[in-house]
Amino acid sequence: MNNRLRVLRAERRWSQQDLADRLDVSRQSVNAIETGKYDPSLPLAFKIADVFELAIEEIFLRDVAEAAAE
Amino acid sequence: MTESVRTKPKPGLWAGLFTANMGVIAALFATGAVEPPVPYILFALNFALLLPLIKASRQVYEDRGAVTRAMRDYNRRFLTASAVYSVGMIGAASIANRIAEASPLLWALAIAPMLPAFAMIWAMMRYLREESDEYQRYKAVRASMVGLGFVLVLGTGWGFLETFGLVPHIWAWWVFPAWAIGLALGMALPESGGEAA
Repeated sequence: MNNRLRVLRAERRWSQQDLADRLDVSRQSVNAIETGKYDPSLPLAFKIADVFELAIEEIFLRDVAEAAAE
Repeated sequence: MTESVRTKPKPGLWAGLFTANMGVIAALFATGAVEPPVPYILFALNFALLLPLIKASRQVYEDRGAVTRAMRDYNRRFLTASAVYSVGMIGAASIANRIAEASPLLWALAIAPMLPAFAMIWAMMRYLREESDEYQRYKAVRASMVGLGFVLVLGTGWGFLETFGLVPHIWAWWVFPAWAIGLALGMALPESGGEAA
């Protein structure tokens, strides 16, 4: 799944560690989510959305192939 | 305060040394170069190499920003249990030959390693329950599956090799160290690309 975490982080000048502290997860986890290696659970996705004060779909993007299939 | 020069942690070096030693001891035993209980004691002593291995691995994980509070608790519990296991193993191996055959004490001595082994599994279960970082939890579960697969595949393979008389017999207590090696391999597995902060 694609996401805009890196951009959103850059806009707020947060490091991965800053975001990790806000989410109460490890920096490695933020990195795994950001690079698309790991898709967060719904509760964590909501937590991320809360931290950025955005809706989940403004952060996480459907895969292009999946979206095209609709 | 003087700034200490921090060398790059090398868990691979220690893991390699540990594995190589195990191989040498197994070969010495298989060829009859050393008689029991010497190989048991050598095996147990080799576990001392796990200390620098663990220290180096921990440093790698700290540097990678992959250490959580639950993981620190887990490490402490697991290390305590494995220290008890190693000490128990050395102790048991060195006094077993002085105890009467099939005596209750010998039974107790043989069953004793189950306790620290149980403690290690308990530490893992507790870690999975206490870890609030879901990605780290996922990694731990995946690593334990790798460990399980490692033991099952290796055990099945060795069992058949033994059945056909191609390899010497080995005792079943090797499963725990083999599983731990598989677990370590499983933990090292994750792709670590995109480390930029």
